[in-house]
Amino acid sequence: MSIDQGDWDEGARASASTLLARAAAAVRLADRRLADAIDDFFLADDSRLDDRTRATLATTLTAMIAVVEHDLRRRAITHLVGGDPALVQRIERGAPVLDRLVATGLLRDPDLMRELIARTRQDLLVDLLPALPPDEIGSASLLARLAGSADAWVADAALALMAAESRRRGLVDSNRLDQTELPAELHHRLVWWVAAAIREQLGPTSADRMIVEAALRVLADHDEGDRVESAAVRLAATIDPQPAELATVLTHALGDRRVALMIALLGHALGIDFATMRQIVLEGGEQLWLALRGAGLDRATVARIGLSLCEADPRRDVEGFADQLEAIAAISPDEARGALAPLRLHPDFRAAMADLEKRR
Amino acid sequence: MSAVDAGLPPVHGFVDRDGRLVDAGPRLDDINTRAGGAIGEPFAVSQVAVLVRLAQRLGITVARHVLVADGPDEVELWVRADPVEDGVRLALSGWRLRAPWTPPVDLARRDRDLLLQGADWWWETDATLRMTAVDAGAARFGVTPENVLAKPLASLFALEMDAEGAMPMLGVLTVRQPFEGQAATVRATGQAVTLSAHPTLNAEGLFAGYIGTVRAETRELPQPTDDRASDPLDAFSARLDRALRTPLGRIIANADSIHAQTEGPIRHDYADYASDIASAGRHLLGLVDDLVDLQAVERPDFVPAAERIDLADIGRRASGLLSVRAGERSVKIDAPQDIDSAPATGEFKRVLQILVNLIGNAVRYSPDGGMVWIRTHRDRGTAVIIVADQGKGIAPEDQARIFDKFERVDPSEPGGSGLGLYIARRLARAMGGDLTVDSAPGQGARFMLSLPGAGG
Repeated sequence: MSIDQGDWDEGARASASTLLARAAAAVRLADRRLADAIDDFFLADDSRLDDRTRATLATTLTAMIAVVEHDLRRRAITHLVGGDPALVQRIERGAPVLDRLVATGLLRDPDLMRELIARTRQDLLVDLLPALPPDEIGSASLLARLAGSADAWVADAALALMAAESRRRGLVDSNRLDQTELPAELHHRLVWWVAAAIREQLGPTSADRMIVEAALRVLADHDEGDRVESAAVRLAATIDPQPAELATVLTHALGDRRVALMIALLGHALGIDFATMRQIVLEGGEQLWLALRGAGLDRATVARIGLSLCEADPRRDVEGFADQLEAIAAISPDEARGALAPLRLHPDFRAAMADLEKRR
Repeated sequence: MSAVDAGLPPVHGFVDRDGRLVDAGPRLDDINTRAGGAIGEPFAVSQVAVLVRLAQRLGITVARHVLVADGPDEVELWVRADPVEDGVRLALSGWRLRAPWTPPVDLARRDRDLLLQGADWWWETDATLRMTAVDAGAARFGVTPENVLAKPLASLFALEMDAEGAMPMLGVLTVRQPFEGQAATVRATGQAVTLSAHPTLNAEGLFAGYIGTVRAETRELPQPTDDRASDPLDAFSARLDRALRTPLGRIIANADSIHAQTEGPIRHDYADYASDIASAGRHLLGLVDDLVDLQAVERPDFVPAAERIDLADIGRRASGLLSVRAGERSVKIDAPQDIDSAPATGEFKRVLQILVNLIGNAVRYSPDGGMVWIRTHRDRGTAVIIVADQGKGIAPEDQARIFDKFERVDPSEPGGSGLGLYIARRLARAMGGDLTVDSAPGQGARFMLSLPGAGG
């Protein structure tokens, strides 16, 4: 078949050059995809997120950005009352900013992702842990008992934790969040990113001031005390179990699958902050065994906690744990606490020391 | 796992320190033999043997749900391995056959997802039916999670009969089965709703609580059918029910939220007044429930069903329902033993209602730390169940009075409408039996419910 180039008009030439450009881009894209696939394939199994964590993480991140974005747009509009209707519509109907934030790589922020991944794994652990029967048939669950406590502080803190965990469970069912439930610093970061992305969509407009105003209000309304994690820390501090009671309270919290409370109780006993303690519990292994011994728990309680965590996560090796149990039980609580001493320093201080170490 | 199998009792076994199965109940012996093992030889059911070894090494009880191959089939077992000095004690329950291949899905998650379809909000309880989680979305329907968490399920919902006079939930609560389509009202708001729920199981396969859903309904409260509507008393009762329940619900909800200081701090004594208002409102709601029952039992055409029932069994279930209330006062309920039985003829639901009333009274009038006894016996074609307490007793001259309308065992005690015993006796007599009392001041009281016996 012969091609008579004389028949091509200018429009066709323009389309052809676009096509060529696209073809070249497609080659580059294919190269990048291959590189990503290679990275993915050689990723060590213990670094890879399992599918369930990955899916829940995506849901959480999407829901989190959506709630901030919705809040910002709604508030910006209320500040624009009586303003330009076209502008109101552009704010109201703007495309979701999630893709833009992902494309820029802003969401790869290590602090944000560390918090989100840990939180997702903590929430999933609640689903995966086996519920254990109470010591005495017919006794109510731990938080229900604490909520009926004569000590009003304990009762309030227990109710607050139940309410916060109820909100968190709703995320998995409905894919919706009513608030980000992030620590204040991360919430702050996320709100300004979303605000900037909305501003970018609108271009330079008179709406700038309204968006800033809306963001400031969203920030002012955030109460990090509403988070499951804060509620658990508050309850652990309010109960303040004596060393002799700790094993019982911890076992009940674990049996009722109150993971956040279990982490908070261990952290409280060892003087380690929640985020660090959560990392230790989620990672398992030597640091966790040291932490359990450091908290003065006996062999049977260590075995019970270790077994439950192994049951919840197929990646944890229950046979290996059973092999190690004698050695773990042989460590004295003082030795264990000594080994964990650096973790009791302020996390920012530890991070700064680590940074300094890297630049040596 | 959608249901607790109450079918086969657990089978026990014992594995010695060297991993030999030295003792096995019949079904365990069978399955071990088919797997190539024998008594006194190494335990051959590998999935269970792994648990035995683990329990021994860890030195703690290991409980797990396992699937055991048995010829071409798979048997679903709940295994509990208890390490003791010279070996490991085994208890295996479940024993349900499963299809050789089932899709690899998370059944608990799937059940939850299915349950949540079309629901307005959800709740979860522990094994004592106290609320442990409530959907934040319940707030859109006037239920503040903070006000109901940790409270008994029954304090959140009032159950209602459906058109056939059935209450799907009442029958299954005691046997911990799933239920759906239970008509109820939310006590705090008077909202008509439909409840459905699945039991959740713990690692030993035992009941750990319910996860349930609520669907808001626009239906009216149950209406009397046409021929009954002509009865002015019925019509009055129905109107009373509708006219009182909604406003009372609102009063209670508002008083609760004032008490909880949801709108901001208020003076402590005002918060306490609000709590008094809420509890007075709840008392009135209980009275409305009793009046509706009264209307039913006083109708001349009221005929309870004649079912074959076991008074000992219903006694055990009723004490189970009241165990939380008794526990709060440290009152012990000594329920009939599993081997006791007193076959009778009557309507299950109505007999349960009577016994809940009698045991509830007994708990209420018991001293703290006291004891309530429930005993059954058969007597010349009659089955009898007795509820006895250590309360202050009832003087002979008051014993007839307490079965009258609006009379109370002790008028100085708070709570109660004075209709419970009246309704209970009407029900007992309608079923061809009777309800009597035997007591002396300072000696406690014994209530005897007798029903026609059912042989066997």
